[in-house]
Amino acid sequence: MQREEKQLEATLHAILNRVNDLKTAIQALISKLENEYETINWPTFLDNYAILSGHLTGLSKILQSEVAPSLRSVVVLPLQLGCERDEALARLTEGRVPACTHDLVPDLLRTKPEPQAEQRLQQFNHKASTLSHDTAQKQVAQFTKVISHVWEIISKGREDWEGESMRSAGMQPTHSIADTHALVTAVGTGKGLRPGMPSMGPSGVGAPGLGPSRGPAPQLGPAAAAMPKAPSAIKTNIKAANQIHPYQR
Amino acid sequence: MSAANLAPITATDSLSQALKANIIPNQEYLLQGSVLDSAVEVLLHRLRGLCDNVDAGTETFDDQEVCFSLRDPNQQAAPLMLRVRKALDARDMPFQLRYIGQPDLGDKSRPTVVRSSLDIACSGMLIEFLNELGCRIEFEYSVKGYMFRKGRMKITVSKVFKISQSSMSPEPISQSYLVELSVLAPQGQDAIGEDMRAFADQLRPLVQLDKIDYKRLGHMS
Repeated sequence: MQREEKQLEATLHAILNRVNDLKTAIQALISKLENEYETINWPTFLDNYAILSGHLTGLSKILQSEVAPSLRSVVVLPLQLGCERDEALARLTEGRVPACTHDLVPDLLRTKPEPQAEQRLQQFNHKASTLSHDTAQKQVAQFTKVISHVWEIISKGREDWEGESMRSAGMQPTHSIADTHALVTAVGTGKGLRPGMPSMGPSGVGAPGLGPSRGPAPQLGPAAAAMPKAPSAIKTNIKAANQIHPYQR
Repeated sequence: MSAANLAPITATDSLSQALKANIIPNQEYLLQGSVLDSAVEVLLHRLRGLCDNVDAGTETFDDQEVCFSLRDPNQQAAPLMLRVRKALDARDMPFQLRYIGQPDLGDKSRPTVVRSSLDIACSGMLIEFLNELGCRIEFEYSVKGYMFRKGRMKITVSKVFKISQSSMSPEPISQSYLVELSVLAPQGQDAIGEDMRAFADQLRPLVQLDKIDYKRLGHMS
């Protein structure tokens, strides 16, 4: 018996701690909202909700745990019900509940949802159970469609916004697609690098190219070699191509 | 001594053996992009932070490349393109002869361009040899820039210059540096493409490295 009492006490103590944490968090939230609403940083303000939800999760964990069942067998018995001000109670509740009146008891000692809420919940449950599978599927699909549409709008907006903020932050472009294409085509196909083929003519003599070296100019290396005349190059081209065929096979 | 009795292993034998074993790195995985002159220092700085070969300062290169074509007079097949590259800053290095195949872009799921690529080092007689073979110069350019290495990946940041006719200084063909990320690997090593994508993402938004089909671009403009 004593062991159970001790357990109950420990559970109550834990719950009390949690509730107090929750209370201080809510108080901080409210005071922030009331006093700093002009200078508040809303994103950090949202963090307060995260704290609240953390406390709530902790509380529900305690209630769900193994020790909780003992609470279920405990009865709360209102001993005194009256309109007169009860100083002890007022002190306990920090002035929020001055008296245990008929007005407050149904709210404070309630173990079920409000009748109105209960009724609506029942209505919804009924509606859901009478719905056919097909309609349900259809509605789910429709909902998904709407959600994905909204998601698209939001992500597009975010992209635009981020792009704008990048631009406004003075980010200059560091690459140009046109230049990429020009360079890649030049290296790949020689576009823009063929100077109308004048380098093939005699004027190309002395060009710092890797032209085919003809004649004695080895001391200069191929970089300063003379280019052959274009017609002769083409002629040899045809002949030579015919000749090399047998080797390819 | 018994080896003398066996038929000597010829170069062709060992080559076909290597081909069979699929150990020849004859596939090039490639991503290309460019960076404006104004931002190239930032890119080099980032690459110095990311790459392996930066202990002894940044590696530079200054090459000249000539593209030859060998046309087939009988059939109207596409001409065979051969590229010869020579280092202008290291004259004692051999010439590099290179064959590059058609770029294969694949579908969206393929991270990089894949093209076959064969390289071989040659002596200075190469130009003359190609000429005798009937090859014709298609175009030439010089390319000057920086080379980085990260594992198997090679990153080049280079300026492409037109070869000028007179003794004028070479003229850059754009206000940007060409950025290429490539890996040579044997056939079927597609996993490297993912690594390359990951590396390319680290250079964003400075450079946008992409699969670019220059054949299609050439037709467009």
